[in-house]
Amino acid sequence: MANRKKIGWYLLFTVPLLIIFTIIVVIPFVIGIYYAFFDWDGIGANPMVFTGLENFRILLEDERFLSSTWLTVLFTVLSVVSVNIAGLAFALLVTSKLKMANLARTMLFMPYLIGGLILGYIWQFVFLDVFTLIGEVTGLESVFFNWLNNEQFALFALVFVFTWQMAGYVMIVYIAGIQGIPGELIEAAKIDGAGSWQRFLRITVPLLMPAFTISLFLTLSYGFKIYDVNLSLTGGGPANATELFAMNIYNEIFGYGNYGYGQAKAIVFFIIIAAITLTQVYLTKKREVEM
Amino acid sequence: MAFNKRLVMGMAIAASASVLAACGGGGDGEESGGSSGEAADGITIFQSKVEISEQLEAAAEAYTEETGVDVEVIGTTGDDYAQQLQIRLNNGTGPSIFSVQNTEVAERLESYIYDLSNEDMVENIAPDMELTLDDKVVGIPYGVEGFGIVYNKEMVNPEDIQDYDSFVSTLEKFNAEGINGFGLSSEAYFLIGHISNYPFSLQENPEEFMDQLTNGEVTLAETEEFQRFGEFMEAIRANTPTPLNTTYDTQVGDFAAGQTAMIHQGNWASGMLEDFEVDFEVGMAPFPLEGNDQLAVGVGSNWAVNGEKDQAEIDAAIEFLDWLHTSETGQKFIVEDFGFIPAMTNIEAGDLDPLSQAVLEASNSGNTIPWSHNDYPANVVPNDFTPVAESFFVDDSMTGEELVENLEAAWQNAAQ
Repeated sequence: MANRKKIGWYLLFTVPLLIIFTIIVVIPFVIGIYYAFFDWDGIGANPMVFTGLENFRILLEDERFLSSTWLTVLFTVLSVVSVNIAGLAFALLVTSKLKMANLARTMLFMPYLIGGLILGYIWQFVFLDVFTLIGEVTGLESVFFNWLNNEQFALFALVFVFTWQMAGYVMIVYIAGIQGIPGELIEAAKIDGAGSWQRFLRITVPLLMPAFTISLFLTLSYGFKIYDVNLSLTGGGPANATELFAMNIYNEIFGYGNYGYGQAKAIVFFIIIAAITLTQVYLTKKREVEM
Repeated sequence: MAFNKRLVMGMAIAASASVLAACGGGGDGEESGGSSGEAADGITIFQSKVEISEQLEAAAEAYTEETGVDVEVIGTTGDDYAQQLQIRLNNGTGPSIFSVQNTEVAERLESYIYDLSNEDMVENIAPDMELTLDDKVVGIPYGVEGFGIVYNKEMVNPEDIQDYDSFVSTLEKFNAEGINGFGLSSEAYFLIGHISNYPFSLQENPEEFMDQLTNGEVTLAETEEFQRFGEFMEAIRANTPTPLNTTYDTQVGDFAAGQTAMIHQGNWASGMLEDFEVDFEVGMAPFPLEGNDQLAVGVGSNWAVNGEKDQAEIDAAIEFLDWLHTSETGQKFIVEDFGFIPAMTNIEAGDLDPLSQAVLEASNSGNTIPWSHNDYPANVVPNDFTPVAESFFVDDSMTGEELVENLEAAWQNAAQ
């Protein structure tokens, strides 16, 4: 009897969510796979021509897509590293006995509350006006110039802004992890004579593994999927030097009007992200220590 | 704080799936048209010209006041108009009236475009200004527009920019004075779209030339106009600050503030110049490629009616367009508020700003070159030309010749 009641509650909370999830994720996902096998321009009334695996074949010869793949991987690797290092450093900082810890925590989290689009426009201004100004005043014009107009630096600018946005978010995850580490373990290590670096490496890091799992997963998948900051900060430019996956797909579908081909790209994109993130979750899960 | 393994896996899949789903939004809108059989309670307008957004809303309000028919103007950002329109048409929230830039776009949207051939207002369209598709009139022209070099009359003497040498020495003179001699801006059409017109439009038969280019019968690199065009672009890059740091707004703003002597713009910019209350006279001069002495004049966009809507809404949409182009209030909006140079014989051009006046005079005297970019392959400017132009302005070692070669490759990519 009690069990049935439990199921009732369970259904009450999950069914609405499941319906929404089905409508806005599962169904479009399946339809998307279907479209990937057609040559179609995305206009409802225009003919769809079945082409089988043709879309997937030309994908391998599409240089712009391949370079976009490389850029996305590069961007993601760089940002996963920088976001997590910055996030962990922030977390350690604000959980130490700093006087301003609470204020710092709020301030560091704030960038995440600004939408990616707006953030991109803000930083566009920073790179354009502030950076060039600093360059002129300090004479360090080889470092402080408008990064967005440089084919190499534009990607770093993107990594920088993404880190600025996401570091506060993963900081929260790490804070939760750090606070979950029992004080007596640290104390015991102290008594045993472990230095602060040893304590960090031997106690904090292993016990933080669950937090690493989730943070790495979040940054990996966010990094691969990034679109908003990409759009507002660089718009894919200069000369497509920062056109990442999501933007490439969008441009293929809405710019060139190749709906089916764009969907094929999106499926490949999905498989890549799923494979990488699942591998990552599997690997880091294995290293988690149960207490 | 061990996280539930299944939860994490589930999140991984859900988060990745949402990527795909985001791209799968369109497509199921075929049944959207004609869904409701009732009389239209209102019409919606979605159009690409940002400059007239507010004025069009005012016109819509005036129309509602006069007739009681609700007119909703959907805002646009200009650049992504085509994408937004496609999304709206596909998901069934398509507007009753939308703008169609040219025949290329009209062909793509053929199944949505209503045949306006039998409407009265069509008779008033100036000769050859209507948008046609298979002998059917499908679009009412917004108005005539033109672009060229917009210059500050206090700083520039038009005689100094009549050929390559004088143009370049003018640029060099301004560069030495620390003034931006010639401003472009970073947006696709203002960076390369409009300015790339000249070498095409100066061909004897631009449309034929473009066909030949697509078929590989001619190459840009071997065409004289394009060789000269490359030289012009090199001179512009060498003597002016990079346009990639400039937006349309700052381009026009710097000009209004006297920090830029010339900008490549059209008569549509005069509204903004008025907002800045410029205290000097402005003029429009032809871009002197190969000694060209004509402004580029064409129809910027056309009003089309969505034929997929139910008949009541189509009729209401046509009535609105009719009101706009035949009633006194409507015409006043077109001429005074939109600032259009009318492309209809029944509308008198009003008190025009100096830029529009220049365009009107050129248009009346027939001393114009056409807008070739209306015949470019669809979306070639934002998709393919812009990256090429960006790399040209970023990379100083790229020559004008290479620019032209890359533009040609970009053209072939878009034309397929």
